[in-house]
Amino acid sequence: MALRGGHAAAAAGVSSGSEDDNEEAGFSRSYFLAKEKEPSSGKKRARAAGKLSDLNLVDEQVLRASLAEIPPKHEREVEALTRSYKEQYRNWLFELRCGFGLLMYGFGSKKMLLEDFASTTLSDFTVIVVNGYLPSINLKQEVLVILWRTFDFYIKALNSAKFSALLPFQVIVTIAEIFWEQTKLKRKRQTATRSQLQPFASQSIDDIISFLNNQTSDNGDDNVCLLIHNIDGPALRDTESQQYLAQVSCCPQVHVVASVDHVNAPLLWDKKMVHTQFKWSWYHVPTFAPYKVEGMHFSSLYTKCRERFLVSSQVTLNSHLTEFKDHDLVKIRKHSDGQDCLHIPLVSDALEKLLQELT
Amino acid sequence: MAAPPGEAPLTAATNIEPFYVLHKGGAAASSSSSSAPSLPSSGRARRRIDVSGPASPNPKPGKRSRDDDAAEDDDDDELYERLRLDAFHCVWSKIQSTINEVLRGISLKLFDQVLRWVQESFSAVRSIARPSAAEVRQPYPLLTDVICRKIPTAFVLTKNAEFVDDITTFRDLAEYLESNGCHLAKLSATELSEKNGVGCCFRSLLRQLLSDVPDVADIFALASWYSAAENYDQPIVVVIDDLEQCSGDVLGELVMILSEWVIKIPIFFVMGIATTLDAPRKLLSSEALQRLEPCKLTLGSPSDRMNALVEAILVKPCAGFCISHEVAVFLRNYFFKHDGTITSFISALKLACSKHFSVEPLSFLCMGMLEEDRENFWHDKFNALPQELRKYASGLPSCTREKDSTKSGDNMVDGLSELMNIQKDWSSVLLCLYEAGKHGKVQLLDIFCEAVNPDLHTQKAPNLPNEKSGTSRRFIDQVMDTIRYLPVETLFCLLEVWSIHLNGMDKITNKVKELQSTTISTDSVRITKDKWPRRSTNSTGNSTVALNDKVAMLLDDVTRKFLVSVECLPFHEIVCFKNALIGNPRRMVQLDLVKSHKHLKCSCCRKNGIAVSASMHDTSIMCNLAQEYGDVINLHDWYISFDGIINSVHSKIKRKPHTSPSKKKSKPVAAESEAMIQAVTELQITGLLRMPSKRRPDLVQRIAFGL
Repeated sequence: MALRGGHAAAAAGVSSGSEDDNEEAGFSRSYFLAKEKEPSSGKKRARAAGKLSDLNLVDEQVLRASLAEIPPKHEREVEALTRSYKEQYRNWLFELRCGFGLLMYGFGSKKMLLEDFASTTLSDFTVIVVNGYLPSINLKQEVLVILWRTFDFYIKALNSAKFSALLPFQVIVTIAEIFWEQTKLKRKRQTATRSQLQPFASQSIDDIISFLNNQTSDNGDDNVCLLIHNIDGPALRDTESQQYLAQVSCCPQVHVVASVDHVNAPLLWDKKMVHTQFKWSWYHVPTFAPYKVEGMHFSSLYTKCRERFLVSSQVTLNSHLTEFKDHDLVKIRKHSDGQDCLHIPLVSDALEKLLQELT
Repeated sequence: MAAPPGEAPLTAATNIEPFYVLHKGGAAASSSSSSAPSLPSSGRARRRIDVSGPASPNPKPGKRSRDDDAAEDDDDDELYERLRLDAFHCVWSKIQSTINEVLRGISLKLFDQVLRWVQESFSAVRSIARPSAAEVRQPYPLLTDVICRKIPTAFVLTKNAEFVDDITTFRDLAEYLESNGCHLAKLSATELSEKNGVGCCFRSLLRQLLSDVPDVADIFALASWYSAAENYDQPIVVVIDDLEQCSGDVLGELVMILSEWVIKIPIFFVMGIATTLDAPRKLLSSEALQRLEPCKLTLGSPSDRMNALVEAILVKPCAGFCISHEVAVFLRNYFFKHDGTITSFISALKLACSKHFSVEPLSFLCMGMLEEDRENFWHDKFNALPQELRKYASGLPSCTREKDSTKSGDNMVDGLSELMNIQKDWSSVLLCLYEAGKHGKVQLLDIFCEAVNPDLHTQKAPNLPNEKSGTSRRFIDQVMDTIRYLPVETLFCLLEVWSIHLNGMDKITNKVKELQSTTISTDSVRITKDKWPRRSTNSTGNSTVALNDKVAMLLDDVTRKFLVSVECLPFHEIVCFKNALIGNPRRMVQLDLVKSHKHLKCSCCRKNGIAVSASMHDTSIMCNLAQEYGDVINLHDWYISFDGIINSVHSKIKRKPHTSPSKKKSKPVAAESEAMIQAVTELQITGLLRMPSKRRPDLVQRIAFGL
């Protein structure tokens, strides 16, 4: 076996980090590219180090067909390992109630483990699942679609948020809405219409965080738990996203349970975020469960998702908005502090009907 | 609601949602729980617990069904879990308030210095000129002399390893100055950044000082506000806590503007410096530097603060919670060798505390340490314990270890009381050691780690030359050596402090008093050999012992007798956290893969003693093979190696490709290829591997090395 074949190539150097980052999802693509570019003559084959194209690769269709049929290894052991963590659920809940955030690490997908924990143990909490493993481009689009559905409510606050941190922003607004709904229930106001969410409409994200910071209750039932799969994933890796998540995680009735898969995940946070905001309690929970969903999103699903998207950058968003403005689908108003506010010129009933149709 | 509401099933469809509400808590959950049998705890009504009163035991009268018993057991679990949670909050809030008190106490000296400097600077500015309200509002400077354009600036050298430790210090400083009559504003590094510019700084200043911020935030608005009678007699202090992180240009511009107005609007700066005092010189232009009138102040060092904290929360019985030797050593190494911040130390201690109350069933009894009538408290709690917990108490390793003695679970109350008394003596002796160690620059955390070492207690005999005791008593021995070389005056001061610490330990106090009252010459004292037996080997026949030796011997005797680690005491498990805290996720993830069989506990993977076998997890095989490479891996060779392992002749578990017979014949590598792609993708997700670039599609790069 030529295990050390890589050394010769190492001397030749490798491409820059930034370029490689763009290629993160590209392994399978490279595999197939190599298949396509299989050299017709053996002349070009490297003598010192083997090339991928030297392999007798199978067709892509055959490969895809075999994907679902690979018998999983150690299926029972993996199940038993994941089951063994159930014993710790009460301890995890205890630490969550002590004010710590739970951060799960170790090899294997922790998605099912965490959702099982949330379903069985966090029944008193309102649990919001955040999928950090999705490509960020997907999230931006998803959020924008949601934005369209509830336009006037979000757009002002959105102006104060970074475009790259839309997901945390959206999550924070959702949490604020939940607390607002709870407050309304307590006050026995039965007419829950969107117009009553007006207090947020003229507020920035700092104001919403401040609103959340003021939410205190002796009743544990009012707690919200953010269950973040892959807090180190592509959707949440940027500084703004992490800052927003850190801010919301130290609000009194918000708890965070998150998973990380990347070995360098701790580099996302500074000491202030780790010790005074997230307050992580680390748990080593290797599951060896396949990264079915997360893998998918890192490679093939990326292309699929991209096809479904309407916009992929702020430039295209702006061009869409201009288009909407030209057709009077949106109107722009100047807010008192000088910022532009977009709104849909429809009455709330019509907006609700539109929303129903969209869903 | 933006996200799809509740009841979202775990399907692929929801997996591509950025986020969704899994379920709602509280009333919403209980109303829908009838259709959700998978949530076991939602259907059962919860018992409200009165924490202040004694927990009521389950009477279990007559015959009961198994279901009833099981339900009651669950209720008991919840009851005691709630008790432990409340105990944690109570104990930690006590510890936290102690920490705040200690840190504030240390910083108070600096706060006073800053206040005095502010007052002196204000007097100096006012002595140059005292402009009227109308003059203050005039849009041109009052004086042009360069001396009158210098802003008094206090540079506070924080000496901390990380800014995170300064956050609370500067917050407290701001509160202190404000409570002493200064107008106060804080500017963060974010505000003093290129992105925001000096305009943002002005807006921030005005927002903090004025109740209504005008649309145009400029110096005139500030001057107008300051000229008001109620504002005029106090200086304005602007605190910039992290100077090095600020933009030099923006800060310089702010300095230039404010300096022109310093006589009219007495604004002074307090700037935190984390590195060295030449930081302002590196950051600011010489022109801006000339407009500052510097004053250097220094905050206490992190080790001073650490010593004070260890004394208050770990040595003195502050809240009834303590840590084991293993945990103490971990925290010590983390602080001195790795992190260096007080914040991380406190954070780790809080985590240890919460883990203790989470895993130790009887930890709620720690609350008794805070009670006035603690024995009564423990009696009530012990009588209310269910049978299962009583059995647990009597089966504690520290009790079973001393089974032959009188200790058992039944006299838990006596055991805990005795533990407290012994701990009190331990604490007093440890403080005596530290007082002496201060003269030899020994850190309290180092002595503390030795004092909680259970091995120290087993080593009761005095040191012999050949004894291997160096590691367990290194710092304690260093303290003894320090005493031997102390000047007599210092020694008497030390004895004075000891007599305070040893208050309540009458026998020892008497010996200390005896030492204090001994008639001495300047260098030695004559004593009888039998009264102060010298333990060192060269002391035989020598009846004259230096006072220093005598003091050292006393401390040595006391140490051996009273410095009993809590881990040697019965029932210590109730108050002492013993589990190790772990870290280093980078290493752990690699270990998961390299030693996957240890986690999966399978019998197949290491059966033949082969390091890498075909039965192993595919990613684990790839990771093990990757260990053979340097920083780049040739995909071709890696695949060949992987294929070789999978189809190894030693392997009985061959993967059968699930392709049609015809395809199988022509393309036998489909399964292996796909398995390898999955494995490599998983390695990429963990960050151990970087994907091939377009230019070099045959190579992948390893990211993490070494375990």
